Amino acid sequence: MFGRASARNPLPVKLRRNSVPRPAPERPRRSSLTPFYVILGLVLLAGIGVLVTQMRPKGGGDAVNQAANTPPLTNDQLQRVQGISRGKADAPITIYEFADFQCPHCADFAARLEPVIMERLVDTGRARYVFFDFPLGFKYSWLSSRAGRCANAQGKFWEFHAMLFARQQEWAFAKDPVEVWGPFAQQVGLDQAKFESCVRSDQFQKEVTESSQLGQSLGVGGTPTIFVNGRRVETPTSYAEFETVVRGIAPAAFSDAPATAAPAGTAPAAGGPAATAPAGTAPAAAAPAAGAPATP
Amino acid sequence: MREEVAGFEHEAAPPLARMATAVLALIGLLVSTYLSLYKLGVIGGLTCQVGSCEQVQASPWAEFLHVPVSLWGVGAYVTILAIAIVGLQPRHQHARWVPLALFGLSAAGVAFSGWLTYIEAYVIEMWCQWCVTSAIIITIIFLLSIPGLRQAR
Repeated sequence: MFGRASARNPLPVKLRRNSVPRPAPERPRRSSLTPFYVILGLVLLAGIGVLVTQMRPKGGGDAVNQAANTPPLTNDQLQRVQGISRGKADAPITIYEFADFQCPHCADFAARLEPVIMERLVDTGRARYVFFDFPLGFKYSWLSSRAGRCANAQGKFWEFHAMLFARQQEWAFAKDPVEVWGPFAQQVGLDQAKFESCVRSDQFQKEVTESSQLGQSLGVGGTPTIFVNGRRVETPTSYAEFETVVRGIAPAAFSDAPATAAPAGTAPAAGGPAATAPAGTAPAAAAPAAGAPATP
Repeated sequence: MREEVAGFEHEAAPPLARMATAVLALIGLLVSTYLSLYKLGVIGGLTCQVGSCEQVQASPWAEFLHVPVSLWGVGAYVTILAIAIVGLQPRHQHARWVPLALFGLSAAGVAFSGWLTYIEAYVIEMWCQWCVTSAIIITIIFLLSIPGLRQAR
């Protein structure tokens, strides 16, 4: 139609412009982005899947279940290595902790939970707390484990242990941690020169190695790892959660005490897994041999 | 118009590089999110076959301006991912700001990661495999952004 317009009878300008024959606009040679979005989506889904599997289950229920399903330690295992003990030797509950002084989780556990456990369970005579070295691969894992043993040799393990954890950031990245520990030692009442000389020697290497080997034989992979009356329990995130687990394992130890008020969701459910944990199977009688205070 | 059409035929920044940038930024985002979730206490522990991830994360260098370094990473990767995706849209494929922004952000990321890697190697003498992974990712993104600079001229 537009092709018929003659020079004598031109089309209106607007129409003429439209009628100019021109090549059809080339379709841009772009590939669709759909495959790209599919790949992006798959990567996202895979990543979210991995992240979800890394989420640590929270709440006492799982911890109690784990305690109930884990076989207790054998007497032989318990007697092989001496831990560093605190509390009554004949306490009905024995808590074993495998820890590394340079591990951030252990420092967190020592700051948030250990004082409450000591106050409510150990100092009340219900439990005895036994510390075992389980040095991981941090720069000063072994050195700090031996330092703890050196403090124990002077009878100040628990004071020094608290100091090491509380001020972990001050020595964990130091060029010479022993220099940092010197004032710590002095503060907790240790003979500093004796302590430093002990740490700079290879004293207690054997004890730390044995403690580490014990942990490995028990399947300890990370720290802190807690055993209650020989049963491995999930590292608690709150005292209430921990007490729930302990009550499940050794209910007799709490016969005179009502349950601690626990935050919602962490209180033991009546008839729940805690009630099914076999009481009396824990080798409490064997525990003192393992947990006796380490001899200097 | 013709130029525009021609532009589609001779793209200054190959879309493939931008797609790769987006995918890498997403992987970097997931890594940073993983470390951030750990720092925020949502994840109990870090899977770390190589090095001492948790100790590195507990170090004073794991925070920058009182914000966890991993959260800075989340912010950077989200921004790079968004720019790469926007830069793939026809409307913005030839925009000058896209290659400039990708280059600038990834260059800053490489500088920051380089500093953190130096800290790991020479100051705390411990390695975090996830931090190294992130450093490699941002370096590749940076390298991919260099050819795109021709488009910005």
